[in-house]
Formats: sequence, C-alpha cells, structure tokens
Amino acid sequence: MEEKPEKLIVNGKRLDGREPGELRPLKIQAGVLKRADGSAYVELGGNKILAAVYGPREFHPRHLQQPTTATLRCRYNMAPFSVSDERKRPGPSRRSIEISKVTREALEPVVFLEQYPRAVIDVFIEVLQADAGTRTAGITAASVAMADGGIPMRDLVASVAVGKVDGTIVLDLNKYEDQYGEADMPIAMLPRKKEISLMQMDGNFTPEEFRQAIELAILGCEKIYEAQREALEKKYSANLGGE
Amino acid sequence: MQEIVSSVKRNYIADLARQRKRVDGRGLDQYREISVEPGLIENADGSALAKIGNTQVLVGVKLQKGEPYPDTPESGVLIVNAELVPLASPTFEPGPPDENAIELARVVDRGIRESQAIELEKLVITPGEEVWIVFVDIHVLDQDGNLIDTSALAAISALWNTKPPKDEDWKLKKFPISKNPVTVTTAKINGEMMVDPCLDEESVMEARISMATTEDGNICAIQKGGSGTLTLQDIDKAYELAVTKADELRKYVK
Amino acid sequence: MLNVKRRELVVPGELVAEGDYLLGEGLFRDGREIYSSVVGLVDIRGRKVRVIPLQGRYVPKPGDKVIGIVIDAFYYGWILDLNSPYTGTLFASDLLGRKVDFSREDLSEYLEAGDAVFVKVKEVDELMHVSLEADKWGMGKLKRGKLVEISSAKIPRVIGRGGSMISMLQGVSGCRLRVGQNGRVMVWGRDLKRVNAIVEALLMIEREAHTTGLTDRVREFLEKRIGGK
Repeated sequence: MEEKPEKLIVNGKRLDGREPGELRPLKIQAGVLKRADGSAYVELGGNKILAAVYGPREFHPRHLQQPTTATLRCRYNMAPFSVSDERKRPGPSRRSIEISKVTREALEPVVFLEQYPRAVIDVFIEVLQADAGTRTAGITAASVAMADGGIPMRDLVASVAVGKVDGTIVLDLNKYEDQYGEADMPIAMLPRKKEISLMQMDGNFTPEEFRQAIELAILGCEKIYEAQREALEKKYSANLGGE
Repeated sequence: MQEIVSSVKRNYIADLARQRKRVDGRGLDQYREISVEPGLIENADGSALAKIGNTQVLVGVKLQKGEPYPDTPESGVLIVNAELVPLASPTFEPGPPDENAIELARVVDRGIRESQAIELEKLVITPGEEVWIVFVDIHVLDQDGNLIDTSALAAISALWNTKPPKDEDWKLKKFPISKNPVTVTTAKINGEMMVDPCLDEESVMEARISMATTEDGNICAIQKGGSGTLTLQDIDKAYELAVTKADELRKYVK
Repeated sequence: MLNVKRRELVVPGELVAEGDYLLGEGLFRDGREIYSSVVGLVDIRGRKVRVIPLQGRYVPKPGDKVIGIVIDAFYYGWILDLNSPYTGTLFASDLLGRKVDFSREDLSEYLEAGDAVFVKVKEVDELMHVSLEADKWGMGKLKRGKLVEISSAKIPRVIGRGGSMISMLQGVSGCRLRVGQNGRVMVWGRDLKRVNAIVEALLMIEREAHTTGLTDRVREFLEKRIGGK
C-alpha cells in the first residue's frame, strides 16, 4: 500500500475528483455467462466482479434439505491476482467466510425460497479485481444475476458503502478512503421499501454522522438500483428484437 | 447444524412480541441478569467470565512477542479468535471454526479495534521487527443466546484485567487500555425490537443488529445479522437502545 | 389500476397494478399493490394479470407433459431427471398400465438409465415429491430421435397459439416432434438434414421467442433450409 496522502479531501473534492455524494463510474451487465442459470458483471471504479447463480437445483446431501423451503448458499471469493499488493492466497479466508455469510443474509430477504422446498440456490461471487467495496458490488451483481436466472424475488438488492474521510461523509469509498478514512459502512437496501438487509460498520461515527451516512447510502443505493434495472432491461429488450 | 424450531414455539414467541412481551417475562429493553468475573484464569495474562442469563463466555488474553504486520510496523498486533466448543451446545460441532464462530470473533475484534481501546502503538519492542501480540481467545461455555454481547463484554473485561507479563522486554507500567467499548444486540421479532435475545428468541428472529459504542455515545462497529430486513426506524431504535444499555453494561466491566 | 402497459418488460419488485386483479404467475401482492417477482412481460386479459417469465427453471405441475431421463432404477420403478430442481418417480405399473409382479418381471426390459421417456406429471405433494405416469397413448419411452433442450419458459412459443407453431414445424419438415413442458423436445424423421433444420429452428424460436411474426419467419427459414417442400 502506498503512503497515506496528507489530505483525502481538497477544496470539497475527493482525490479522484468526485463530490462527496458521487459514485465511481458504474457499469452493470446482465447475462454474461453461458452455463450459469443467471449471471451478471459489475464494474465500479476499479472493481471487476462476476456473479453467477445456479438453481434452484437438487440439494445434495439430502439430509441438508429443508422440507418447506429452498436453501440459499453464497460464496464470495477473491482471485489470487485481484489485489494490488501481495498475491492473495487462494481459498476461503476468515474475511471471505464472514462476507459470504452477510452476503447471503443480504440476499435472503428478497428470494421466494418457499416456492422451492428442498432445493438449493447457489450464488457465486468472484472478485476478479478489487478496488474497495467488493462485498457491496458483489451483492449488487448477485441480485442482478438472480433476476437474470428467473429466480422469483420480492425486489432487487442494491448495495454500496458510505464512510467518513477527513470528517466528511462520502459515498462509495475508494481504496485510499477505505484504507485511511475514519469510518466505513457497507449497506444493502431493498429499494421498494427502503429496507436494510446488510449493515456493517467500523470506525467512528457520532450519532449525527451516522444518520447522515445512512441517508447518503440510501441515495447511493437508489442510483445503483437504476443501473441494475437498466442492465436487466437492456439484456432482455435486446432479446425482444426491438419490440 | 441448526436448531429445529417447532412452529408452535415460533408462533408463541411471535404472538408475545406483538403484545410487546417476551418468553421470560422481560421488557423489550431489558437484559437478562448480567455478571462478570475477572481474573479467573491465573495462567492467562488477563481473563474474564461473563454471564448474560444462562449464556456463559470465558475470554483469556495472552501476550506474546512476535512480528508486526508489514503495513503497520510501528504497532502491536491484536488477534481475536472464537471457539464454539461442543460442550456449549448440542448444535456445536468439533472442527475448524464455522461461519458463526468467525463472525463472532470478527465482530468482537472490530468493537475493540475500532474504538482504539488498546493503544497498540505502545506495544512495540523493536519497530518493524518485534512487537507484542495481544491474543484474545473467546471460549463459549454455554450457549443460551446473545453470544455477541456476552463475548464482547467478556473480552473487554479480560483486557481491563490484563496484567503486564513478567518479561524484561515489557517496559510499560500497565497494559495500555484506555477505552471501554460495549456491544448491544437488538433482535427484531414480528416487527418489534428487543435487546439481548435469548436462544429461543434468536431461533425465531427476523434479524438482529449489534452496535458497539464508546462512552461518548459514538458508534465504532455495527453488524446486522439474520435473513430479514430492518427499516430505518428499526435502526434508530437499535441505536437508542445501544447507547442507553451500554451505560448499564459498562458498569460490569473491570 | 394498471401501472404498466400490456407486454411491457418488468423486473422483480416493479409495481404492475393496484386493486382487485386476479394474479397469475410471476406476481405477488403486498396490500393493495401487485408487484412482479420476475423479469418478464406483462400479460393482461380482463381482470387477470400475469408476468410471462423470460427465464427460469421448470417446476413440475400436475397434468404437465414432460420428457424425463431415467437416472436410477429401484425395485418398483424408476427415478427420472426432469430438467428441474425435482426428480420424478415412475412406478412400473404407471408405465405399463397394469399390475406388475415384481418377483417375476425384470424391469430393465422396459427402461434403463439414460432412456428418454415422455411422461405426464400425475401428482406433486407439498414437499415437491413428483409422481409420473406414462400409460396413455403416445406416452412412454422415446426410442429414437434427437433431444434438444431449450429454456422451459420458451416452450409455449414452440407449441404456438392453438398448436400453430408445432403443426407448421411438422408440416413443413415432415419430421415428428414431442414437446415436453420442461424444455426438452424430441425430434425424429427419416432425413437427418431435416431433423437438423428443426433443431436450428427450435433454437431460433428460443432466441426470438418474444418477437411478433415469428411463425412466418421460422417457416421461411425452414423452407430455405430444406430446399422447399
């Protein structure tokens, strides 16, 4: 990691030129993989993230099946070459196991799992290149992949991080802000009712900053939601042959 | 392994919640009985046994010399680990830590680390080469719900109990701890928010949110768990409870 | 009150209508409001609304006719893969349409692992255990042909309104088709070139399922492929 910059906000702007409430450039594509039942690709700043959904499919071993509902499984994984510093050792780490758990819990509320007793739905998130905010971008991608796979859902899930740098509340932290900022709070939201399905935080927020940060996260999630919808509409209206 | 919950129990607890009541007769903002016993393990550098209701967690602190992390050469190291040993619950199985043990350790870790409770920069022996490593080991003894708050309480108490090791490289008069972060978990059942869920309540809750706050009311760590959602009002309520209840819990530390 | 137009594309969580509509597939209700649960096209007939999904796995319903593949045998019958999260059970008596004396008959004479079988879904219980039957005319083992798998969401288009697409496909090519609602289609005929032309036509239907004038375009394509009738 490079040296800590002296200031992270200069004349009200962030080091990458953004306003405090601005997202990094965002690109979402639905249906990018052939074999998966549903898939999506998300670029947010330097993040490059793929999500794939398999299922609902038969759940083995049988004793793990739940009689009245499907089981949702999530695996968040970082490619060894995805990070700018030292190669990441392949396989699950404590961090990735925790992220897999909170990702599952962020997605579970929207899926009509009860429509598929005994079955399993697998969500795989692969971080191909990491640039701060991979878990939230992963959730954003996974929810598009699930919709693309035709899995019945109550809503999409939009996700983004907010935080505090040089005392200012900012949206969508970049790598420096993530590393040297004073607080980081990843959030996932169900846009229809503004319900929160992921909330983690570390750092330091006063009660007032906490409220501001949540408000900004909601605005951010709404922007992400628009891009998610557009991605799905784009894929399927292309299929509809310009109808 | 998961506990099987009968629908009778589920409906019973959910119905009570609608009437703003709880299985054990507590108010929604009421903890079970709390106790903390520091210094139980003489062979550890610090220790504490915390009980919330029937839930018991023992935390031991060990100080050892080792290498600093390459990106923080002038700082000591904090390592928090949690074991859900099979003696504590019929659903715990031996083997490597599962996602619940890992989450527990990482949530407790963030509460301590982000509050800067330990002055890690004072735990350097030779910059870049040798520092003190603070091992905080969470040992769950009896699981009857709310492991997060019980473990966080045991951990911060054990750290306040930590004595300087007998070692010529230790130059400080006391273990450098200065803050008192406390974690309060609020569960959502049938739309109602209630602190300190017991195991029965955890087995039916929609979601939970744990907030670690310091004495000044600032938040230093949050973790939402469970497969449901929280509204913004729920989160406000959880914060309000986190601050008022933290004052209460903090009295048991030390 | 409708919030969308007929054949409009919606995504999960999108408001489709408010009020007293009859809900078909792909929708759920939240109070007075009706939302889409899938990516799909809105279809409205009178008070009945549904969202035709553009994607998704097949889930067995009683009465569906599907093509299963035998994956296992047991003492009384066979287990079939249905291109679905759920397998189906076919008892020998429901294949043969008679009582079977298991101590005397060797079931492997009738079906073996790998066989394709045209079956009807007889029953589905609340745990999604699926039982099948194949003792009616035209059902049972499919002995020859080429098996094509397409998205089950596109099968209604392969059949067409009132069977128009499938009768065109059979009429133009002279091939025979057996269409399973689970996305599997068996095609057979004397001329391999014609069979292959049908396979390509099926993939074309899958790709362009939601365009208008599809039957005519597929006919044109087929006629060109097999050099006129």
